[in-house]
Amino acid sequence: MEPVIETFESRKKHMCVKGDGLSIPVCDKASLPGTVTQRTCVFGGARIVLMPITDSIHLVHGPVGCASCTWDIRGSKSSRDDLYKKGCSTDLREKDIVFGGEKKLFETVVELKNLYNPGAIFVYATCVSGVIGDDIKAVCKKAEESTGCRVIPVQSEGFQDHNKTKGHWIGCDALLDNVIGTKEPEETTPYDINIVGEFNVAGDLWGIKPLLEEIGVNIVATMTGDSYVEEIAQSHRVKLNIVQCQKSSNYLAKKMEKKYGIPSLKVNFFGLEQTVASLRDIADFFGDEEMIDRTEKIIERGLAEVQDDIKEYKKRLDGKTVALYVGGNKAWSLVRAFEELGMDVMMSGTKNGIREDYERIKEVVRDGTIIVDDANSTELARLLKKYRPNLLISGAKEKYISLKLGVPFCDFNHDRISAFAGFKGFISFAKEVDASVSSPVFDLTQKTLRED
Amino acid sequence: MRNCHESNYDKKFAVVNPAKICQPMGAIQALLGLKKAMPLIHGSQGCSTYMRFQLTRHFREPIEVASTSMNEKTVIYGGEFNLMKALKNITEKQSPDIIAVASSCLTETIGDDMTGIIRKFEEANTGQKLPEIISISTPSYAGTHIEGYDNTIKALVEHLAIPGHPNEKLNIITGHLTPAEVKEVKNILRELNSEFIILTDTSENLDAPLSESALNLYEGGTSLEEIQDTCNSKGTIALSKHVDSAGKFLEKKFEVPCISGPLPIGVENTDQFIKSVCELTGNEIPDVIENDRGRLIDAMVDAHSYTYHRKVAIFGDPDFVSGMSRFTAEMGMIPTVLCTGAKSERFREDIKLISKEKEFKPVILAGGDLYDMHKEIKAIKTDLLIGNSYGASMAQEENIPLFRVGFPIFDRLGAQRISVLGYRGGLSFVDNITNTILDFYYDEAGYEIEEEPITEYIQEVSQPNENVYEEEI
Repeated sequence: MEPVIETFESRKKHMCVKGDGLSIPVCDKASLPGTVTQRTCVFGGARIVLMPITDSIHLVHGPVGCASCTWDIRGSKSSRDDLYKKGCSTDLREKDIVFGGEKKLFETVVELKNLYNPGAIFVYATCVSGVIGDDIKAVCKKAEESTGCRVIPVQSEGFQDHNKTKGHWIGCDALLDNVIGTKEPEETTPYDINIVGEFNVAGDLWGIKPLLEEIGVNIVATMTGDSYVEEIAQSHRVKLNIVQCQKSSNYLAKKMEKKYGIPSLKVNFFGLEQTVASLRDIADFFGDEEMIDRTEKIIERGLAEVQDDIKEYKKRLDGKTVALYVGGNKAWSLVRAFEELGMDVMMSGTKNGIREDYERIKEVVRDGTIIVDDANSTELARLLKKYRPNLLISGAKEKYISLKLGVPFCDFNHDRISAFAGFKGFISFAKEVDASVSSPVFDLTQKTLRED
Repeated sequence: MRNCHESNYDKKFAVVNPAKICQPMGAIQALLGLKKAMPLIHGSQGCSTYMRFQLTRHFREPIEVASTSMNEKTVIYGGEFNLMKALKNITEKQSPDIIAVASSCLTETIGDDMTGIIRKFEEANTGQKLPEIISISTPSYAGTHIEGYDNTIKALVEHLAIPGHPNEKLNIITGHLTPAEVKEVKNILRELNSEFIILTDTSENLDAPLSESALNLYEGGTSLEEIQDTCNSKGTIALSKHVDSAGKFLEKKFEVPCISGPLPIGVENTDQFIKSVCELTGNEIPDVIENDRGRLIDAMVDAHSYTYHRKVAIFGDPDFVSGMSRFTAEMGMIPTVLCTGAKSERFREDIKLISKEKEFKPVILAGGDLYDMHKEIKAIKTDLLIGNSYGASMAQEENIPLFRVGFPIFDRLGAQRISVLGYRGGLSFVDNITNTILDFYYDEAGYEIEEEPITEYIQEVSQPNENVYEEEI
């Protein structure tokens, strides 16, 4: 079998073609030292899950770089507070490395509580605080007692694992151990749900929330987009968890099921078909005839609203190819949405995929699709050059690799600018994809003056 | 009047909205100006990834920084295996001229001997053609991106300089300049008939044309041979006072004279740069330079009624802030709050000197963050803010315009093309800042919308300088 692209010997099995026997690439292995990996660290994974909690201070316990490169980058929107956007650090210095940073951490927490009176202070461990052995848990406990504010340790030392998925779990654990179930709701309804794994990037939540409210469910907490920590504290009495980003948050839903007996449903609001199926699943779960009727009407109206608006985009996008190289969940959850625009997903890959993720990718893509794991920037450039998709979906670091090759690009990560979820979101999705794929500027990129 | 203890009372330990970044970030910015080089960070993946994220958002270019991808196991047993493997992989697949390895907090703390590991790698591969491998110690907890930059240039020169024949060139250490500013430095030197070695030259690498070649090792930038040649130059000018360690090294070891700063922003600082070049080369100042200077002053005269007594707060790297405070003072503006993230004594001294000379009394924040700055701006009521994109929310809250310059700028296009350097960069600054003032404070007929009550502040600043506070450590 011919290798997908030329690369290191040890990397060959990280890329495969569906239907070619080996349909799941080798994955969940440490990245090759010396390559430009697109992966991040465990600290990053934890921060991504927790950062959208809007009324909280997210304090990075470490030297300043970890905080100053990662504050306010999540792209999560808020309808209420903006405390979560502050970049807070204990700014560990040399003497703290020698004598330990615990005292400084305690004082910093007290100061931040006095300055902002936040819903909670999340304290993130970094590589350095881990190596010097600061007991973050003990400091958080002491600071909580002294300030009366929730102070939550997040044991997210960056070096813990090659895979930031572990960071997602650590973030979820911080919620499970310290927040969820710490406050009893004043009242409950038979239709209480949590939305899990929805981070409100570019306002996605606001495309979903009205639909859910209309079908008649009561949203107790969103984890964690546009949320307050006190809402999450009461989230253990709901009847159902719906899980949007399954990559980061299935873990949380499963643990809540075990601890509180809350069943969960995997949902996906990217694309019309998936939105419809998700709404139906939720209504079916409650089994309420009125709700089911209402849901059908909402679906009918939603689909009707969209069809006309996307016609023009579909015309231009029909037959165009897409490559996905994303964080995890989107590697499978977006596939159908593109197909609904008439596009063909010819490659899908993730940076931090585990076997389960690749199984889901394999399920949704057609035969012949290239599936890649942890492609570094050289490999990504080679893949784009060899297979020349009409569009790459990825994040900021990959953006200019794609554009320099003249391959149109959409950022579906932190820098995404429009909400894609739900019916109306699908129109923005189509519009943004069209704005990249169909832009005439790409006609100019393949020729030079001398060749003309 | 506020005094220092009161201002600093609410926050002594916490950093909120940092105005500084870490040492490896400074190292990477310096290394991106090298030709056919591969920067490698010895640490967890997050270090290189998050830095690439910030750099790529700012420059809108692909940024390649390799990682040794440390994880728990390798932390316990030390990073030797990962670093050796990384050196091997980079050498075999990319064959760069230089591999520059910057340490991270993690590998500094666990005590990896990078120099020893590199030697071991070289010994294990004797007889093979290897790149120059340079190790740079950049622990984030012992400095900021400024020290990271300075350490990097010094490490390059220390490791690579080879004495030979005098070369008639000037070494220029740029510090954190935009590609457009580096280009401007080169233009000025050409006009002054001076040959040069730029340490390091990001002008092409970080403002590249749309082409696949941008994805390979850089073909532009400072070459290995040029760095080797730096000890044979006529002199070194470090454009920023905080990046002169390599220059001082060359002066001490090879008797290459070194001039530190000031950053050529505004009339007087640029004058000084031009004179420094002429002093070292013995060349005359040509008409073209004199004319550019005249044009800048002409523009400042044209703008003076709009800029006079506008209160301006500035944040960013220390030499940028002191240069910009002098420049804005030259324009008749009043610098109010001057903030830099580095705890720099040189910065404090610079500002004290400029403020005495130009008769303004700013609040100096050396080692401050944007929280501190915001608090001071609220108290002083400033008209304009100059700094990077992180100033946007502060500016919005205070309803004043933000003039974007510095790093990072991710919410506007063209960060690589911003230049406030030299007479020509100064000219575009005067135009742009004046137009910003016109847009914001004047109506469509050209009348000032709101008369700012400035008398109160002017009286206040003529009082003894009690509101200059310096951070307690």
